Amino acid sequence: MRYGFVIDLKRCYGCYSCQVACKAANNTPKGIDFASCLQGEVGTYPNALRQMLPTLCMQCAEPECLKVCPTGATKQDENGIVTVDKDLCMGCKYCMMACPYGQRHTVAEWASYFPDAEGELDAYQQYAKSKWEDKNGYGIATKCDFCIDRVKEGKQPACVEACPAKARYFGDLDDPESEISILIKRERGFQLNPEFGTEPSVYYLPAR
Amino acid sequence: MLLKPQSKWTWLVAAYLFLAGIGGGAYIVGVVADWLGGEWAVISKIGVVLGFPCVLVGCAFLVLDLGKPENFWRAWMRPNTSWIARGTIVISVFMVVGAIHFGFWLWPFNSLAGADGARHAIGLLGALFAFGTAIYTGILLGASRPIAFWSTAMLPLLFLVSALSTGVMAVIIGAMVGGGAEGPILALGKADILLIIAEVFVVVFYLQATHRLPESRASARLVLMESVAPLFWIGVAGLGLIVPLVLEITGAFALGGTGAEVAAIVASISGVVGGLFLRQVVLAGGIHAPLKAGRFEYAVSKV
Repeated sequence: MRYGFVIDLKRCYGCYSCQVACKAANNTPKGIDFASCLQGEVGTYPNALRQMLPTLCMQCAEPECLKVCPTGATKQDENGIVTVDKDLCMGCKYCMMACPYGQRHTVAEWASYFPDAEGELDAYQQYAKSKWEDKNGYGIATKCDFCIDRVKEGKQPACVEACPAKARYFGDLDDPESEISILIKRERGFQLNPEFGTEPSVYYLPAR
Repeated sequence: MLLKPQSKWTWLVAAYLFLAGIGGGAYIVGVVADWLGGEWAVISKIGVVLGFPCVLVGCAFLVLDLGKPENFWRAWMRPNTSWIARGTIVISVFMVVGAIHFGFWLWPFNSLAGADGARHAIGLLGALFAFGTAIYTGILLGASRPIAFWSTAMLPLLFLVSALSTGVMAVIIGAMVGGGAEGPILALGKADILLIIAEVFVVVFYLQATHRLPESRASARLVLMESVAPLFWIGVAGLGLIVPLVLEITGAFALGGTGAEVAAIVASISGVVGGLFLRQVVLAGGIHAPLKAGRFEYAVSKV
């Protein structure tokens, strides 16, 4: 089993639902997005084109972040998911330099989205803060884990469930009959920046 | 598409890279001076005394930069994983050997001061690890493959030449303060002229080697013309290279006596400060490769 993603660039219209659903599911603090949408442009008006690129951790088969991790905090499980052991990480940020996809994040302290909440956090933010501290905490380099806890419960990752354009697919790359394997084969799925030799588990289907 | 430099490794890391270089370089000068003997004996002590304490202070900066400083000891636990882990072993061995070398002149071991053979053997071992300390940081940054400005064979060479040059200059300052003989100080100044000329070439080739990729071209623009340019032109080119080169050449060939000494100390202070700016310029110029999907390119954000 190797978990993977297919993101269909034809279908994505850049609504940021994945980004918001990810924040809600992972309780990421202000400024931290495990899933995000990047905007791309080519040409100049009136001959210009825009294309969104939704990104998340690529859960590389050959992760650069794991290769540079000096403490063994970055690990790869049997399903290909790259995780961080928060007790082992010392926060050197080398993984942030080495990841070609900008998918390692570090949080120094909890930051509120609401200006009036500087002193006392409301109940929702208290909840988010305590959830974040349980799983990630501060000072370490965290990352997306394909919502592995949701997947274990039989659910889809939050960003897949939320995508209204049905542009995201989650499945098993090792199974040639899985939906994502078939999509990658039939629709010429490609990986981002293959020149780094990272073998990402996230594939993209070409835009129109 | 605007490519932005990384913002996570800045002055604290630059201070470490600088101090690791200067400590390694000064120690190597000390060991060579120890082999020369005679009036170089004081120079040798100054080099060895500067060696491991500089690296130790540098390590303190590095620990301050950690997100979880209390976990710093974990850097020793997996020596075969990463250049940070390997480097931690290299600098640790260097500091221990450097401290033993230093110990030869301290009570109660000073009775061993006559044991030249043992001290030279320790010095040779220490010099090897000092070399490692000075050069591994360039390899460490180079292992970050998406940052083309770092991932180049020129960077370890640049750090090594700068380490030797700043090491020599630190020893000159130490010798001026600590009362070293005039002959060796002037000889060190002349050696440093060669090192600075070599460093000028390495800096030029380092920047020239950025032409191949859009992200490294963006780094070169940032360093030469945009936000990092003042730091580069004033800090690295001015204080680090031109001022010490001009002063050392004038001091060595045109001035004599006190004039030469003043020139040497001003040149050395300026050059050492330039070494710190050089590390920060390299860090601040580090730009990740853009993500490519079809005809579109996307800047890696928030790193």
